[in-house]
Amino acid sequence: MKCENAREKFPDFLSGDLKLETKAEFDAHIVSCAACGEELRGLSGIWTKLGVLPQEQPSTAVRDKFYTMLEAYKDGLEAKKEKTPSKPGFFFSLGRIWMLRPAFPIAAAAVLVIFGLAGGFVLSGSGGRVAKLQNDVDDMRRITAVSLLQQSSPSERLRGLSYTSQLKEPGATTLDLLLQTLDGDPNINVRLAAADALYLFSSKPEVKEGVLRSLSRQESPVVQSALIDLLVDIRERRAVDALKALIGSEKLRPEIKKKAELGIQQLGL
Amino acid sequence: MNDNQLMEDVREGRVEKLAILFERHHVALFNFFLRLTGNRAASEDLVQDVFIRILKYRATYMGEDRFAVWMYKIARNAHIDYLRKQKETVPLEEQFDEIHSLEPLPDEKAARAQEAALLTKAIAKLSPKKQEILVLSRFQNLKYREIAELLDCPVGTVKGLVHRAVQELGDIYHQLTGEACRHEV
Repeated sequence: MKCENAREKFPDFLSGDLKLETKAEFDAHIVSCAACGEELRGLSGIWTKLGVLPQEQPSTAVRDKFYTMLEAYKDGLEAKKEKTPSKPGFFFSLGRIWMLRPAFPIAAAAVLVIFGLAGGFVLSGSGGRVAKLQNDVDDMRRITAVSLLQQSSPSERLRGLSYTSQLKEPGATTLDLLLQTLDGDPNINVRLAAADALYLFSSKPEVKEGVLRSLSRQESPVVQSALIDLLVDIRERRAVDALKALIGSEKLRPEIKKKAELGIQQLGL
Repeated sequence: MNDNQLMEDVREGRVEKLAILFERHHVALFNFFLRLTGNRAASEDLVQDVFIRILKYRATYMGEDRFAVWMYKIARNAHIDYLRKQKETVPLEEQFDEIHSLEPLPDEKAARAQEAALLTKAIAKLSPKKQEILVLSRFQNLKYREIAELLDCPVGTVKGLVHRAVQELGDIYHQLTGEACRHEV
């Protein structure tokens, strides 16, 4: 291999795209040619060094602005669909053709019958399409919520929780993540918001189980109080045992003990 | 679902799918603009601009290219328009100087931060064309073939530009390192 050919392959070497069939020949040239070897070492050195440049994070405003823009665009599209103008020009033209060519009425009748039948099929399926669109929106919200709930910033996780409130069907992954957030999020506000978010899905057995389990794990009085409210609100009878266990805990604050006792009374009514 | 399928859905009117593409690409796009402009606020606006343009031109997406290539075509145009409007930009090195001067760092971290600041300064001294080719090839996960498609030029031209850009960056970096050492002495 000549120096010129070897130098042409430097960019492929840097990006790791050097073809296997030319690699041996290329390596041999680099070993034998001091000038090419030195140049390649210099290029590789700076290429590798570029790896120290940090990946910067944009501010949360970027995400807020994007979702506001997307919502506005969707609203605009929907408004446009509702305002689709009628086309008087079409009927005018049809009338003209009708007058000029008398054979058209028969053909037109046949076309209308075909369109009528096709329209019937389409309309009978439109409910399905609307449902699919709703599912798509739900999917998008679910993905966004899951993504936000895994962010390191508490405000992002709070945004993720607010997304879950718009879900018709949260799905197992979202529920798991909500329960994990309730159990172990380092931020109390996020744990409280997770309790609120789970209230919406409290008819699901796995949510009831998860909230019951979580009560014994919580150490913050504020979160304990929120979970007692939640369990009383959803009339979860099994909470009586969990509340009794909580009352037995030595570390429990007196005001929470009082609240738990009241909760047991309310659940027994 | 891959990016292309999502974008095809967006093109067909299911615009809510753009949210997934946004979540996948907005940080990379932000860094692309930040490395070219050195201005955080402008880079955030440019990210927003790209997604507005994607919606505006969604009907023109043909699905032949990898979505990222099409998106970076839009990003380049947004950047060109920004440069036309913007006569003076904040140099990139100032951004990093600002970030790293906020708090004292331990030795190793400080050394890396200094290295990053020098590299950023060096990149800012390259011509806009070389800056762009370097950022696209080194940071944006694009193949030379895709960059060639993006810039509408032969692959050989892209490789030649990458070679020259890296070489020049090395020269500038070593010059700056020498200056930094002289300042310390």
